[in-house]
Amino acid sequence: MPPNKIPDNKDEAPPPAQSSFSQQTSKVRNFFSIPAPVKTLFDKVPVLTYPSNELPQRAPKPARIPSLYVFIKEEDAAAGRPSYNPSCLKWQAFLNIAGVNHRLVPSSNHASPTGVLPFLLPAANSSNSPQETSAPIISNKLIKYAEKLGKTVVETSSMRYEAYQSLIDHRIRSAWLYTLYLEPLNFSAVAYQLYVSPNSSNPLVRASISHQLRSAAEAELLKHTSIIDTDDLYSEADKAFEALSILLGGDSWFFGCSTPTLFDASIFAYTQLLLDDELGWKEKKLCRALRRRANLVQHRERLLVKYFGGS
Amino acid sequence: MVLELHVWGPAFSLPSIDPHCLAAIAYLQQAVPRGKWHLIATSDPALSPTNELPALRNGNIWIGGFRNIFHYVAQFSSGEWILDAGLPNQEGADCIAFSSFVESHGQPLIDLSLYVSSQNYTSITRPLYNTIQSFPLPYLTPPSVRAAAKLRTEHLGLSSLDVDTEDVDASREKSIIPESLRRPKATVSSLLAANPETNAQIKLDALATNYFEPLQKIKGQKQYFVSDSQFSSLDCLALGYLSLMLIPELPQPWLAKTMRKKFPDLCTWTGEMRDNVFGGPVDVGDAFLKNGGNSTSAERKGYLPWAAPTHGGAFGVGKVFLSSVADSLPVVGQLRRNTRMRQHGGKTLDDELQSSSWQSITAVGGIIAGLGLAVACMFQQGLIALPSSDEPVKESVGLNPFGDAGAALSVFANQLDAEAQRQRVMERHPNGAPVAEIDVEAGPGGVTVTDNVA
Repeated sequence: MPPNKIPDNKDEAPPPAQSSFSQQTSKVRNFFSIPAPVKTLFDKVPVLTYPSNELPQRAPKPARIPSLYVFIKEEDAAAGRPSYNPSCLKWQAFLNIAGVNHRLVPSSNHASPTGVLPFLLPAANSSNSPQETSAPIISNKLIKYAEKLGKTVVETSSMRYEAYQSLIDHRIRSAWLYTLYLEPLNFSAVAYQLYVSPNSSNPLVRASISHQLRSAAEAELLKHTSIIDTDDLYSEADKAFEALSILLGGDSWFFGCSTPTLFDASIFAYTQLLLDDELGWKEKKLCRALRRRANLVQHRERLLVKYFGGS
Repeated sequence: MVLELHVWGPAFSLPSIDPHCLAAIAYLQQAVPRGKWHLIATSDPALSPTNELPALRNGNIWIGGFRNIFHYVAQFSSGEWILDAGLPNQEGADCIAFSSFVESHGQPLIDLSLYVSSQNYTSITRPLYNTIQSFPLPYLTPPSVRAAAKLRTEHLGLSSLDVDTEDVDASREKSIIPESLRRPKATVSSLLAANPETNAQIKLDALATNYFEPLQKIKGQKQYFVSDSQFSSLDCLALGYLSLMLIPELPQPWLAKTMRKKFPDLCTWTGEMRDNVFGGPVDVGDAFLKNGGNSTSAERKGYLPWAAPTHGGAFGVGKVFLSSVADSLPVVGQLRRNTRMRQHGGKTLDDELQSSSWQSITAVGGIIAGLGLAVACMFQQGLIALPSSDEPVKESVGLNPFGDAGAALSVFANQLDAEAQRQRVMERHPNGAPVAEIDVEAGPGGVTVTDNVA
């Protein structure tokens, strides 16, 4: 029998020790109970729940077309021009290619439910309640969303797809991170103008944001190597462009498709920004490596003319 | 001048524990003629200018990182020792793309299998470092490699493979629920929870399949990955990664199991290439030339041109140890890492000396700061106390502070004392007359009289 089991002694008279114990506990219980005058006061004031307030006037109205939240300048958003952030631009281009009509909303990472842009707020549907429509769609669910809208999403099933995608996601991305954030000339000329100065005019805040951006880029690069080897980053990106250029060959779109796919969108996200003279690149090593591949430059032109109005 | 390739030491009967080192060994084995290079299992990344192994040494020039080594070897031999030369356009592009794929998607798998998975790490991987590094270093290297591996695999959401962080047994023992009311242990969910690898099985399987499938497809029925006749740099890299996935015998063999079950072709290829390139199983004795010197083992293996490593004695090991300690300290480690972003190139001896003196200065600074912190911490925790003048006077020992109960207990204690005394008396007079003793005690609870008749 477990020693802590309480003996069943309801029939017998309780031993004196136990009776004093129960007196003690009832005293404690009395101490914590609500005093009578307070209780009567509470009874006189009934609890009443008011209906929730209306949203303020300036709150965004549910739009009739879906809104894509991206890093973009105010005037570019209105004109539907490309975003200046590669991962935003990739999905922006994807939606344009799939023919999903959307509007662009300038935003920052703090607005996103996942902490990263882009995300899409679907169009308000008159039949649904406002709570249901406002469930945001994060970037990797966008393909499913486009398919649900009945758009044709061409998927490539080449055995080379994964490998060449890894060139973009790792080799080119690493070189991009380095050239944008860690190359001092480019950071002050390009990244500072795009990510730091629009956020605040306070020099302390600006310095802190710059530091955060740079150390985040550095940490990301140091995950895979123990040292940031500049020459290696650039030469690997150069080889990656070479391989992509060979893969594209004389075709209009990658993998011989008749229409562009998500893969075209993801390479466009980098080529567009590297070839955009308005960004004002100062250290152009990566841009030069790309310009040497004429068919990649033409590929970017084609997408720009066809899906972004040639701006 | 003979080239020296410095690598992490052998493990799992492979020539190295690191996939990049295996790739570099395979490359040099295939590209560079015998006798022009040596293989040294140094296991010390501090030698390399990029702070990683493999590193290639040619006299005073150090080249770090396997891609830089490929480039340097091609340059050094003026384009003669090169594997990828003459690949047709499309195959060359595939070689670049799949190299990136093998590396970027293979690293997380190796990390999960060898380092993040607690069972594999504690029972196999960590002990292996004891055989390839000298004494104090195995205390520092595996945890730091493991931390890096965890960081790299964070985004996969498989941190549950690491069960070290939560102490399951401890929480079970402390439970206040009596034994009879607890749920029986052998429920299905608890059986699953017993083994994190089983829980994550579906996810791990999918990860592994996504990795092997494109490789299987690109290889097809060819002899090598991109070409039917030419051993390329992609084959070196793939051999490095695939052999580390297939060959280690681990308590949680999910990776090798998936590979054997679904991709037997890749397994056959890996096995064959391992025999052709590395010359079959390699053990630690081969690398350090311990068993029988050069005569028998070198001829039997005959494949890899091992040379014995020189560690620079206790001083060298101590230096490496201190710099690893400095790296793991919070602020100092950050400063040291910041200096690692620099242009890479053929380094001269002068640069080397300068940078190493900086390294030792920061290392010494780090140690001093670390010791200071440790001492400060001890003071705070009260492990060390300064001799202070107002030390409390020793309170009277005994049960007096307990009041009435103390008095009652002190009677018992005194009785025990009396018993002991009586025993002693008995021993002193083994044959003596019976001794009657009357103890009169004046305790706080009144006078107690105890009489003992022996």
